[in-house]
Amino acid sequence: MTEVIQYLLSGIAMGSIYSLVALGFCIMWATSETVNFAQGDSVMLGAILGVTFCVDMGWPIWLGMAVIIILCSLFGIGLERVAIRPFRGISDIGWMLSTIAIGIIIRNIAMVTFGRYDRPFPTALVKQPIYIGGAGVYPQEILIPIIALGLMVGIEVFHKKTKFGSALRAVAYNRDAAGLMGINVNLMISFSYALATSMAGIAGFIVAPVILASAYMGLLVGLKGFAVAIIGGITSPRGTILAGFAYGVLEKFVAGYFSTAAREITAFFLVILILLVSPQGIFGGKNRGA
Amino acid sequence: MTKEKKNKRMISSTNGLTRREFLKGSAGVMGTVGLIGTGGIPFIFPKKALAQAGTIRIGMSCALTGPHTHTGLSVKRGAEVACDFLNSKGGVLGKKLEMVVLDDAGLPPNGVANVRRLATREKCVAMLGGYHSTVGLAMRAPIHELGFPYISPYCANTTIIENGYKPNFMFRVSAKDKWIAQFLVDFAINGMGKKNLAVICENTGWGEGGKNDLISAMNKIGIKPASIEQFNWGDKDMTPQLMRLRDQKADCLVGYYLDPEGAQMVKSMAKINYRPQILSAWGISGNFAELAGNDLAEGAMVSMTYTWCGKLDPLGQRITDYIIKKYSLKNDCREFRTGSGTANAYDAINILALAIQAAGTVEVPECWSKIRDALEKKVTHYEGLITTYAPAFMENEERHDAILPENYLMTVWHDGFLIPITQAPQWKTVAPDYQEKYLKTHHRAREIMKRT
Repeated sequence: MTEVIQYLLSGIAMGSIYSLVALGFCIMWATSETVNFAQGDSVMLGAILGVTFCVDMGWPIWLGMAVIIILCSLFGIGLERVAIRPFRGISDIGWMLSTIAIGIIIRNIAMVTFGRYDRPFPTALVKQPIYIGGAGVYPQEILIPIIALGLMVGIEVFHKKTKFGSALRAVAYNRDAAGLMGINVNLMISFSYALATSMAGIAGFIVAPVILASAYMGLLVGLKGFAVAIIGGITSPRGTILAGFAYGVLEKFVAGYFSTAAREITAFFLVILILLVSPQGIFGGKNRGA
Repeated sequence: MTKEKKNKRMISSTNGLTRREFLKGSAGVMGTVGLIGTGGIPFIFPKKALAQAGTIRIGMSCALTGPHTHTGLSVKRGAEVACDFLNSKGGVLGKKLEMVVLDDAGLPPNGVANVRRLATREKCVAMLGGYHSTVGLAMRAPIHELGFPYISPYCANTTIIENGYKPNFMFRVSAKDKWIAQFLVDFAINGMGKKNLAVICENTGWGEGGKNDLISAMNKIGIKPASIEQFNWGDKDMTPQLMRLRDQKADCLVGYYLDPEGAQMVKSMAKINYRPQILSAWGISGNFAELAGNDLAEGAMVSMTYTWCGKLDPLGQRITDYIIKKYSLKNDCREFRTGSGTANAYDAINILALAIQAAGTVEVPECWSKIRDALEKKVTHYEGLITTYAPAFMENEERHDAILPENYLMTVWHDGFLIPITQAPQWKTVAPDYQEKYLKTHHRAREIMKRT
């Protein structure tokens, strides 16, 4: 029983990171029918900037988090302008390759500036584990899903209750019509990229104390986040969130009861299976938008 | 050419490039870009293209770029310092020693190419290798094809040196994976009195080999591991494996893995409140304590050949001061990442110098087989940094390794530093008769203990 609790608790923590990354993919896809394949590297940015600001430069956590949100938003806006907008609607391969390329570039810049080694991000919440039903978990690992869920709820409220959110939903529903109604479509798309990237940055910031920060940590996280978005249905935010948690927990159980080698195999095999059965994802509906 | 035709040509040129010109131009541009991009410039303008008259050239191939640059720097520095010290005493056979260091980035094909280049183009009398066992393994064929002497100052895979070639041109001044396993098991059982050993390794070539070596070492003394566990590079959470080990009541984990995974492993141990003794091969000799935190790293024991932290012997101190000055490092022993390599390379160069002296000739390539024979038979006594070599090597391939397991250094992470166990509080937990046996083969430790 202790094992089950152990896997559940750690699985939910990692799963919420996948959910945040996947939700970013959803948001970007909803407004522009494009995604940023450097989304995983945005997680990396949040992590290494977190170490740089809060460990190397001694800033308080809230300041580090605030500056990271600003920097990641700017990165998202810049990326959309440079790698997405020129190709949007003209060449899908164009924005796919461009965003992959940007990912490679920032990963290598990070390796040169931050260094090639893993670095720790010690916070008060990873000093001592706490015990729940015999299973040990760092308080940070409990904080991660709380923050992640808070963000997701906040975004849903923003979408449903604010005028700006309504404009975003309008663009997601039908870009041309929204444009005709006077909504600045480009601005909405830039905003969605800023939102997605800063969510990934926050994810990196809160998970780095648990898994260490490194220049190449974004690769696998980005890949899994994308897989989660696809499984959940890239048009369904709630679906992707659920899929993220499920994926995180599944990983832990597979690693626990079979082996860590089986973990990646099983998870991605499941992705393929689900796509074969349900190509639009489990919760995805028909593609709307353009 | 008539005036008309000339004008036509000029006009067409000003309108744009002809196809031929365009192709030539592109080829030129791409060639230049390709050259620069692939770092071909060093191949065309090598730093030491012409042999300086009257120097003895010793080659080295190691990782100076890539994720393991610190390992290449570690062995390069040790070798260069050894050459400087020997040169200040007049060199060998009246000539100065000169290191010719090439980068292989830890990749086997580059290593193979470097062997050929060091032997044939750079006209070296011998060469040193680097950290990566995969590169060392790939070098066996070209080394023996050329008959070019090789000494590994780090890569520890058993079959690099025990390679079946006769005559065997490969030697090593470093640890041997097979013997590291024996050392760890012996220390765990006889030194620490542990009863229930388990094996936990990373699942790479090195980890797999280490796992097998540990199991053989245990079988040799008639015990079986309580359990065998593995994890991947990049794994962040080892609680599944550790929970199984805890259920098996393993009181000591012996294993081969690197700093990041080692750190996540001890963090996972804290999570499940399970703190067995850790005994590891030298994979966790980098920033393990920084990643895990000093508290969780405390007490982890690591098999090394040398460590630059803690109280040093006089020669070690002299080398440290020299390296800090020569390479402008901070005065912090943790700057000596993978520090065993520096010490290994230092002793390797000195042993090689003695062999060159005994061989009596540095005419390439005739000297190669003479130096090989001298290494094998004529370096009968050398008081080195790591230990006293008497002799350095012997004829059988198992003894092409200069450092014996009884000379391996047991170190322990204490207060964030990796220091010799004899200088740490954990020494008290070692059985008295094992302490006696250990001190017999570690005369430097005895000296330092006497001084303090």
